[in-house]
Amino acid sequence: MIRSKPVAIVGAGPAGMSAAISLAECGIRSIVIDENGGLGGQIYRQSPSTLRSSKFTQSKEASRGLQLKQHFQSFTEKIEYLPNTKVWGVWEKQLAVTGQDGWHLIDAEHLLLATGAYEYVPPFPGWTMPGVLTPGAAQLMVKSMHIAPGRRVLIAGTGPFLLVVANALHDAGVEVAGVVESVRRSEVFKSLPRLLNNFGLLRQGWDYLRRLGRAGIPIHTGHVVVEAEGQNQVEQVRFAPCHRDWQPDLSRAKTVEVDTLCVGYGFVPRTELAQLAGCEVEWKNELGGWIPRVDEDLATSRKDVWVAGDGGGVAGAAVAEDEGRLAGLAIARRCGAIDDNSFRLLRAPIIRRLDKLRRFRFALDNLSQLRPGLSTLAKEETCVCRCEELKRGEIEPAITAGCTTYRTIKTATRIGMGRCQGRMCWPAMARFVASKTGQPMEKVGNRSVRPPIIPITLGEMAEMEPSDAVADQGRNS
Amino acid sequence: MNRGQDVIVVGGGVWGSAVAYELAIRSMRVLLLDVTLPGRATSASAGGLWPVGEAVGLGCGVIYHATGNSESGDESTPNVLPDLFRDFLIASNKRFPALAKTLLEQTGVDIEFDIGTGLMFLMYTDYEQAIVDNIARSLPQEQRLKILSPEEVVQVEPKITHELTGAALLPEEHQVNPMLLAEAYKRAAIRAGATFRHDTQVTGFRRDGDRIIGVEIGEEFLPSNLTVNAAGSWSRKLAATAGIDIPVSPIRGQVVLTERLPRILQGCISTSECYLIQKSHGEVLIGSTTECANFDVSVTHDSITSLCRGAVRAVPMLRDVGIKRVWSGLRPGTPDELPILGPIEGVTGIINATGGFRTGIVAAPLMAEIVAQTASEESPTFPIAPFYSSRFLETVID
Repeated sequence: MIRSKPVAIVGAGPAGMSAAISLAECGIRSIVIDENGGLGGQIYRQSPSTLRSSKFTQSKEASRGLQLKQHFQSFTEKIEYLPNTKVWGVWEKQLAVTGQDGWHLIDAEHLLLATGAYEYVPPFPGWTMPGVLTPGAAQLMVKSMHIAPGRRVLIAGTGPFLLVVANALHDAGVEVAGVVESVRRSEVFKSLPRLLNNFGLLRQGWDYLRRLGRAGIPIHTGHVVVEAEGQNQVEQVRFAPCHRDWQPDLSRAKTVEVDTLCVGYGFVPRTELAQLAGCEVEWKNELGGWIPRVDEDLATSRKDVWVAGDGGGVAGAAVAEDEGRLAGLAIARRCGAIDDNSFRLLRAPIIRRLDKLRRFRFALDNLSQLRPGLSTLAKEETCVCRCEELKRGEIEPAITAGCTTYRTIKTATRIGMGRCQGRMCWPAMARFVASKTGQPMEKVGNRSVRPPIIPITLGEMAEMEPSDAVADQGRNS
Repeated sequence: MNRGQDVIVVGGGVWGSAVAYELAIRSMRVLLLDVTLPGRATSASAGGLWPVGEAVGLGCGVIYHATGNSESGDESTPNVLPDLFRDFLIASNKRFPALAKTLLEQTGVDIEFDIGTGLMFLMYTDYEQAIVDNIARSLPQEQRLKILSPEEVVQVEPKITHELTGAALLPEEHQVNPMLLAEAYKRAAIRAGATFRHDTQVTGFRRDGDRIIGVEIGEEFLPSNLTVNAAGSWSRKLAATAGIDIPVSPIRGQVVLTERLPRILQGCISTSECYLIQKSHGEVLIGSTTECANFDVSVTHDSITSLCRGAVRAVPMLRDVGIKRVWSGLRPGTPDELPILGPIEGVTGIINATGGFRTGIVAAPLMAEIVAQTASEESPTFPIAPFYSSRFLETVID
């Protein structure tokens, strides 16, 4: 089956939803494709209605999410929403998607990618052990499945998201043994003047901190987790004070007994679809890594593909929402639905807000920017590629033999050849290679992306008859 | 040519690396230049070592012709390549057992030379049976195909479909890992004294009168006594910078790779729709289209769909197996499907090692040997003259 729409939007988080709303307000129909069962993306994820309790819908974020969802849902005649549908390939102006009824193609004149980000976890001893998970996964468990990830949890990594998750776990009745944050307290204080330009967000952060303080949850700033230990699953976690480059001082390591470790060092933009679409990407460490190169209205090097939200550089939900709006307007102008003048008028307040938000983010990103000491955590026998089960010690000889780029290391060691196509391992391994060889990240290179980016079987693929389908099904626009 | 002179090898795929190695062990000072361009054939090759299979068109050649790329009117009759080339491929194939051992000893890289039950061409129709019978009769006794009944097929390959009229088996045709073959050759060359520069894109050859005097890398000039053009699909573009025309064009091949599986195939399988090779890490590689798409390395869903259909027909259990990725590579194709090796008429200082097309991997060892022998003025162990680019000049006059 082939569907056709003027605009296809991938992702129904804040960026995707607000883009669809913008477009609908300009009278343009769009199709919004999302892998989840409900609107909201990761940040505004809802629990299934059977599990919903009032307790989890009270936060400010949640109410913002609810507003956005209601606004989105008020445009049923303009927005076609496809939940539980994954995009696994991009061909020119066609998306190959798979849902409950097999796979089909979606034709679109314009494509907006609002794919969000995934969490970054550098390898360290014990990181693949049961009981180690990302803060996002822990949040998902308590927020939407109402399952406690463990009894006693340590939360580690960097960034304000750790505080959000610590609070969510605490509220859900999980014992939080502490928060381990690599950034030092003094560094936070130094950035305060710049963080102050967004008082609201700073205030939110302060609230999170205060609530943890009241609950007696210790926050170890200037520390990193160095090892998760246990027989068959996490029993204790070692963490140590770290230097400015986040290299731990192992002589002063402490041990804490927990059954769960949540660890995450910020986010990596999901750029698979942009790469498949042939959009140029560039390296921006402060925005999470490789991101599509965009113009001031978020159009990529492929002029019919736009990117908004964390998928174009990690900047949080507020930025994502405004970026979605901006991209929506830019597409509307391209379609001729609004003229240049109205575009400029509508665009101006968005740009003002974005500038302000970005200044705040910039200060925050500067603090939480990944530092080279993290690359020293993995020991020789630590797994660095889960799909191919490779240890750090198996990668190093290849680097010594002159393989110093993604393609050459991959060929020599199979790192990144697994199912995740390097999604999990390469961001960390690239940093490892860069620090070992002294090369810039641009030179070490980005992983290549090939369809299908989600698992699809040969049988599903074999059953597709695109040419017949076009004739039989007609266009459903 | 004398010893100790500089040779620049342009292209670090299997062929360039193999030539660099053969030159380096002849004590020549070699500089190997490489840039990993999207679509290099080494990264998309299945690694099949099918000398007879390919020469008679029962490897990916049969797909080539079945999909209507042949110019003969009969669209499903494979093109049989000259006997001389078949003999060349057979001789090259025989080098693999020793080569795998040497490369492992010298570099620690295992090229994953995997001896299975051979290459099996599945026959679904009486028509295919008739074609194979014809091919079988044309082969010398010692290279004969073994014809298997459907029952015999199942004994060798239990996972293969039972809906067959039979199969043709070439028991000496196996596989390697092409990327590791290139890597091992490269490291062995470095060990033998060659210098390697990666991420170095040669932008042109510099010509002085009738002589190629070196290569240009943007603004940089690297002089050499001899330049080897092993740039695969890009070798025509490069040669053109020195006013030389070699008829090499990129022939796209799309491939599908499954997730890792326990051993399900004992050898290499080909049909008129696709071929299937289970690689040593358990993935099944399914290839391959043969298309002229210039330098476009994208994949098309109709091609991928038809490869998957062919694979599921041959090995029904693959229906429920996940696809890990699909991609494409550019084979350096030539009009007569034979490689372009050796010197160029009227120009000195340059040697071709290109046009590997469908048989680049199996041909690599002997190709590199005779190219290096030519470069060092030894007499080649196999006649190289039939592969000179000058063969195309003659047809032009006609």
